[in-house]
Amino acid sequence: MMTMKKIESACIIDDDPIFIYGTKRMMNEVNFCNQILVFNNGQDAIDGLNEITTRGEDLPEVIFLDLNMPIMNGWEFLEDFVKIPNHNREKVVIYIISSSIDPRDLERIKDYEVVNNYILKPVSPEDLEKVLQNFG
Amino acid sequence: MKTLTTNFLIKDSPMAVAIFDTQMCFISHSDIWSIKFGQGRQTLQGKSLYDIAPNTPKTLRQIHVDCLAGASNSNNGQKFIHPDGTVQWLKWKMKPWRDEEDRIGGLIMVQEDITEEKLKEELLLKAKSVARIGGWEVDMTSNKVYWTQITREIHEVPEDYEPNLEEGINFYKEGWHRNEITRLVTEAMTQGTPWDTELIIITATGREVWVRAKGEAETINGKCVRIYGTFQDIDEKKRMQLEYQTVSDRLAIATHAAKIGIWDYDIVHNNLVWDDNMYKLYGIKPSDFGGVVEAWEAAVHPDDKERSQKGVEMAIAGVQEFNAEFRVIWPNGEIRYIKAESTVRRDTNGNPVRMVGANWDITEDKRAEKKLKNLLDITSEQNNSLLNFAHIVSHNLRSHSSNLSMLSGFLSQEEDENERKNLLDMLGNATESLNETVLHLNEVVQVKTGAIDKMKSVNLLDTISGVQKNLALLLKEKEVTVKVKVAKEMTVNAIPAYLDSILLNLFTNSIKYSSPKRPPVISVKAENEEDGKLVVTFSDNGLGIDLERHGKKLFGMYKTFHKHKDAKGIGLFITKNQMEAMNGQIEVTSAVGVGTNFRLYFQQT
Repeated sequence: MMTMKKIESACIIDDDPIFIYGTKRMMNEVNFCNQILVFNNGQDAIDGLNEITTRGEDLPEVIFLDLNMPIMNGWEFLEDFVKIPNHNREKVVIYIISSSIDPRDLERIKDYEVVNNYILKPVSPEDLEKVLQNFG
Repeated sequence: MKTLTTNFLIKDSPMAVAIFDTQMCFISHSDIWSIKFGQGRQTLQGKSLYDIAPNTPKTLRQIHVDCLAGASNSNNGQKFIHPDGTVQWLKWKMKPWRDEEDRIGGLIMVQEDITEEKLKEELLLKAKSVARIGGWEVDMTSNKVYWTQITREIHEVPEDYEPNLEEGINFYKEGWHRNEITRLVTEAMTQGTPWDTELIIITATGREVWVRAKGEAETINGKCVRIYGTFQDIDEKKRMQLEYQTVSDRLAIATHAAKIGIWDYDIVHNNLVWDDNMYKLYGIKPSDFGGVVEAWEAAVHPDDKERSQKGVEMAIAGVQEFNAEFRVIWPNGEIRYIKAESTVRRDTNGNPVRMVGANWDITEDKRAEKKLKNLLDITSEQNNSLLNFAHIVSHNLRSHSSNLSMLSGFLSQEEDENERKNLLDMLGNATESLNETVLHLNEVVQVKTGAIDKMKSVNLLDTISGVQKNLALLLKEKEVTVKVKVAKEMTVNAIPAYLDSILLNLFTNSIKYSSPKRPPVISVKAENEEDGKLVVTFSDNGLGIDLERHGKKLFGMYKTFHKHKDAKGIGLFITKNQMEAMNGQIEVTSAVGVGTNFRLYFQQT
């Protein structure tokens, strides 16, 4: 395995505990990052990221975002995320991870500049390695 | 002395009289002569006639020569056309006079200019001929009939034709026309009533001609001695009139059959005239209507009034023709849709004088259009929900299957016993979730295919009580107050199982998402609406939903808005589908921290 720059902090926003478990496990396998943040819906994530900002800390460098979630879905999260007043917000790379193959969703992603790419579930270790390569 | 007296008598004669010598020079003349023929000169004595009247025609000069030779001459009216084109009619009498020796001393002459009378007469004749008016007269004592030239022309008989009364009557077309003229003539002769009628005659050449026959009888001592009158060829006019009548009859039949109303608005006198169909279209009787434009305005629906009035004004102003649709309210309150088309007629100066138009009822078209639009809405909504459904199937089934494949992948590599147990547990959960999703989808499909013929009249209060009974334990445990204000006899047209399921879902939602800050209160009431619908209002004082955020997806599948362990996002989706399957509707209003208010629209039974 080639040496890659390790990510300091990554964030998973998803309501499915099985997906969270699996993704975390794979992250460890590919030595993805030092720290993993987990939120179960968009609102929790916004609250958590705002809290980090208040503490004067950096936002996670990579966010894996689900679309279908209760309370606040992925789209709504994106609307609110760009309003977070953090100095490194613009460096944050967001990947949408969803099981949706609805062409309307794929089309809609193009409207969000902040989104880097779309990963179709299930996530594989190869997907994570590609993310790391792009990051390095 | 004698001559003087004669001269004096001649001077004051009321006619144009003159005495000439053999050279046709004036010896004496009346004042009238100098006024009429003397170019205004006081005296013409000693002057030659031909110097005074140089345009005396040659033929007349020859007559003078003849008379000076001993002849006499008189004429009751002779037309002369002078070299300059002017026409002169003269009437005269002349003879030579003789001296004591019986020698011809000159001419004595009476002359009159009758040009004016003759021209008038000519004009009258001409007018009669142009108007094709002839005269006729029957002398009852001799049974002799006199026809003028034009009367003969109309009958197409030769100039020397002389009919009697019976022959005259036989020219009228056999049947109604002949019977009618016989009746009229008989009445005139016996009762003295004049007649004026329009009938058909058959001319000598066999042509049918419409004539206007006027006549009256002259009676002496109660005995009819003469009947006379005029006879006019009105064939062309009458046929045009009949043709117009035919066309207008046809139009009347067409407009009647098509229920098209025709109106005619006299703009100058603000007078509106309607045909019978118009009254039918507006549901009023002619006796209810003043015939003025204000009455039309009174019938127009208030919401369409200003627009319609503007349309008429714009048409009169010449901006654009009044072609519009508007509603009218019948006296019984019924609203009808009217389509109007019209044109404005203008005088030669372009001023509007008349507005003529047609109205017809398009209520049925409008209803059909509305129905079609409803159908279209339903179709596009169903199409939408089908797309949604496909999306749900792909998304939800895929998310479970991807979890299953991921977990089984981990399991095949995992050697740690504890971790394997953990993975197996998760595998079990994932399988169960998949099963649940399939059940939900199945439920949705069943609602979608739910047959409308299962609908029946259901008592609303009984159903609510039944649901309350099912939830009695839960309601008691959560200390929920339920207020029901539904009339005992109220029924809705519904599928009983769906109505149960909808109410159960709304109750459990209200309990599930009640506010921890206050004791839960649920109130249910029902009201009949005017349009055949029954509205059930279901409200609680729970957490409420941020509709600005979630409004669009509230009734979507797998949408949840609260952190609750049982929130699955399937209930309202199914509720909405069940309502729609029963031709109903569901609406929601809500405020976060205040409560939620659902309105369910059912069909009354």
